[in-house]
Amino acid sequence: MVNENLVKDVVKEPYKYGFVTDIETEKIEKGLNEDIIKLISQKKEEPKFLLDFRLKAFKKWQKMKEPDWAALGYKKIDYQDIIYYSAPKQKEKISSLDEVDPKLLETFDKLGIPLTEQKKLTNVAVDAVFDSVSIATTFREELAEHGVIFCSISEAVKNHADLIEKYLGTVVPASDNYFAALNSAVFSDGSFVYIPKGVTCPMDLSSYFRINSGDSGQFERTLIIAEESSSVSYLEGCTAPMFDTNTLHAAVVELIALDDASIKYSTVQNWYAGDEEGIGGIFNFVTKRGKCLGKRSKISWSQVETGSAITWKYPSCLLLGEESVGEFYSVALTNNLQQADTGTKMIHIGPKTKSTIISKGISAGNSKNSYRGLVKMGTKATGSRNYSQCDSMLIGDQASANTFPYIKSQQPNSEIEHEASTCRISEDQLFYLQSRGIEFEEAVSMMVSGFCRDVFNQLPMEFAAEADKLLALKLEGSVG
Amino acid sequence: MEIIEKIKTNKSDDNLTEIQKICLHKLHSSPLPNHKSELWRLSNKSKLSTFLDYSVNEKDSKFDIPYPKNSQSTIRLIIGENCQIKLIEKNYSIQHLSEDELQKYIKEQISFFKQNENWSDLLNLSLSCKNNILGLKINGSKIPPIEIFSHASSNALNAKTLVIFLEKNCDIELLQVNLGKENSSLSQSTFFCLKENSSLNHGVVSYGENRSNLLNSLNVIQQKNSAYNLGSLHFKFNYARFEISIKQSAGNAKTNIKGMQITKKDEQISTYTKIEFNGPNGFLDQINKSLADDKSHAIFEGSIIVPKIAQRTDASQLSRNLLLSNLAQIDTKPQLEIIADDVKCKHGATISQLNEEELFYMRTRGITLTEASKLQLSSYFQEIISFIPISKDKWDLLDKLLNEN
Repeated sequence: MVNENLVKDVVKEPYKYGFVTDIETEKIEKGLNEDIIKLISQKKEEPKFLLDFRLKAFKKWQKMKEPDWAALGYKKIDYQDIIYYSAPKQKEKISSLDEVDPKLLETFDKLGIPLTEQKKLTNVAVDAVFDSVSIATTFREELAEHGVIFCSISEAVKNHADLIEKYLGTVVPASDNYFAALNSAVFSDGSFVYIPKGVTCPMDLSSYFRINSGDSGQFERTLIIAEESSSVSYLEGCTAPMFDTNTLHAAVVELIALDDASIKYSTVQNWYAGDEEGIGGIFNFVTKRGKCLGKRSKISWSQVETGSAITWKYPSCLLLGEESVGEFYSVALTNNLQQADTGTKMIHIGPKTKSTIISKGISAGNSKNSYRGLVKMGTKATGSRNYSQCDSMLIGDQASANTFPYIKSQQPNSEIEHEASTCRISEDQLFYLQSRGIEFEEAVSMMVSGFCRDVFNQLPMEFAAEADKLLALKLEGSVG
Repeated sequence: MEIIEKIKTNKSDDNLTEIQKICLHKLHSSPLPNHKSELWRLSNKSKLSTFLDYSVNEKDSKFDIPYPKNSQSTIRLIIGENCQIKLIEKNYSIQHLSEDELQKYIKEQISFFKQNENWSDLLNLSLSCKNNILGLKINGSKIPPIEIFSHASSNALNAKTLVIFLEKNCDIELLQVNLGKENSSLSQSTFFCLKENSSLNHGVVSYGENRSNLLNSLNVIQQKNSAYNLGSLHFKFNYARFEISIKQSAGNAKTNIKGMQITKKDEQISTYTKIEFNGPNGFLDQINKSLADDKSHAIFEGSIIVPKIAQRTDASQLSRNLLLSNLAQIDTKPQLEIIADDVKCKHGATISQLNEEELFYMRTRGITLTEASKLQLSSYFQEIISFIPISKDKWDLLDKLLNEN
């Protein structure tokens, strides 16, 4: 017989990234209006087209209503009580990392993110975003040799305005949804990646997002463009300090893959989830979408969602190009009073397109974990295929697991398969492992890890190790 | 839409029954369902307004049942025709529910109704006059099979209501047939209350004609150790909605559902099911099949709700769909909402067309393409049809589906 309390204790683990960096920051006043948007744009010395883009998005946002269809319950967000721009004070222009405030470097070191160039061993280029601005991007010269552009989006606006103007908002238009419109109006920073024709990016690219102040929201924007026959693997990580207020995070990620290009986008999301009583934590409302524009292009999303008080996130693929491929691999772990409504959308438009969805949800404590997905076959998607699998694991009798797959087909020559199951940690298996001398805690951790294996196999090496460790940490606790 | 206008004006009519008044009052503030809600989002608005366009017909014209009654041992009832029944035999009894019992039960049900979820029931009960409500109490065992007919007359809207109490340890087979005439609308609401240890094999065959419409709603309450088996078939309707709501009030009950809907031309047929487990050890096995051809649209939405109290529930739901034309559309959405942890729940959904390899194999054996497709379809249909009680030997439903439709 499984001791319920024991399992519950096992899934408790204090948040270890909850420290605050004491650094002088430049903040603008709270609230949101046209002047604030103009101020953000002015601070970032943006061209006129971008200011127009922001103002247009703001007008649309004002007319929109906050969505309430997700299976989420949270107190109303006061959008006028948020600081929309916060940046650590630093010297005007940074020519090398030596000039970055040592406190910032220390922060990222503490988070395990090697920014200093000495730590080249990892062979991962990092763009670190602290509150509203990108503070450093590593390995730029090496990447530039291959023609790869990897920089903060503010720099890209200045140096590659043509690319930004051409692609920004083409995958996630400003009017797409409430949070995307808000992001389009006030986005502060984020990463920009451009992989030229025929180039396989020599190293994994990574961005690391850190929210430091409790009263400012984070609105980053990421744009990745993979030209013909190119390929890139991009990693994203997120943490935030512990505050007893809720902080808003509304990001937009746009991916564009042209003929034969492939983009792999992996996320380990570990924003602060609030305490056991559900006080504090990040409200995470993210719009991520990839467009497989070219023939045989491929976009693969993999995510490990363990943090945030509220997660509202549906990384999607628009499969336009013939024989393009979309993939979605997800593990979502919720504990205490966390709520997650996450899933994907696979929109098959072009012929012979293929998509795979593997989603694993683990709910513990009093949390709520929902999978919500859409698979749509358009009239031209002949010979297309989709396979979806959504499994949920429940730990304790207070947690809830929901599955809402929407399936729509208008094309007889296509096939859709969906399956979902719900289970709990099997007593027999636990008993078996324990009888072989494995500690209870380790046995639970092993079984959760096994449950998520299909997804972890898809993560890049560095991330798979981190994700496995993260889940183990969340499941490690006060037993014994 | 004369009916909606009537509801809006809320004219008090002395001829109305108390139930009709309660339902009209409930509908008054928003007479039409909210098309933004999940349950009505995909429903064709103009088809729904066609449904409501006919004026209400309370007295039916003489109705000839197109199906033979070739067995003396079957009890046949037609809702709306003054069917008096009082059968008290050695092993069983079938009697009308008293006016009080009927009122009390329906009122209790209405108190749980929600505007969008139960709009079809509210509409039905606000239109259904006394003559068109049939309430039965069935007791005993070795009861002969029962057939109950509902039908709509041409150019009219008919509302029929059926309430059946199945007493303890009772075991019956019941076939409900809903027939739509050309240019007609039929609103059929059915309420079953299955007491402890009772068992019901229920069949629903809804068969329309040109431009006929149907709103068919089925509400089942299952008490402990009851078993409910449903085999349903809906076809040839311009617009049809089949709404199933099953509550296992104290768990420990078994539910088996096998349903099918077939759409052709520009028809739209949808099935919405909601199964709630309000106690432990519940069992559900559900399969819903759709076939959409021409420019038609088939919809399935099924939700399974397992609250904390429903430990050791075993529920599975499968939606299988065949899409046979470039212009047809299929939407399917099986849903699970689970809080209890010691449960086995799964669902699956597939959309595809006829298996090409199988077709090819049969053609290499000299079977024509048409014949081969028919063979495949018949195996697809057979799983559901064989689950519909009583109809098996009498009506060749399979033949009807393959040749006539």
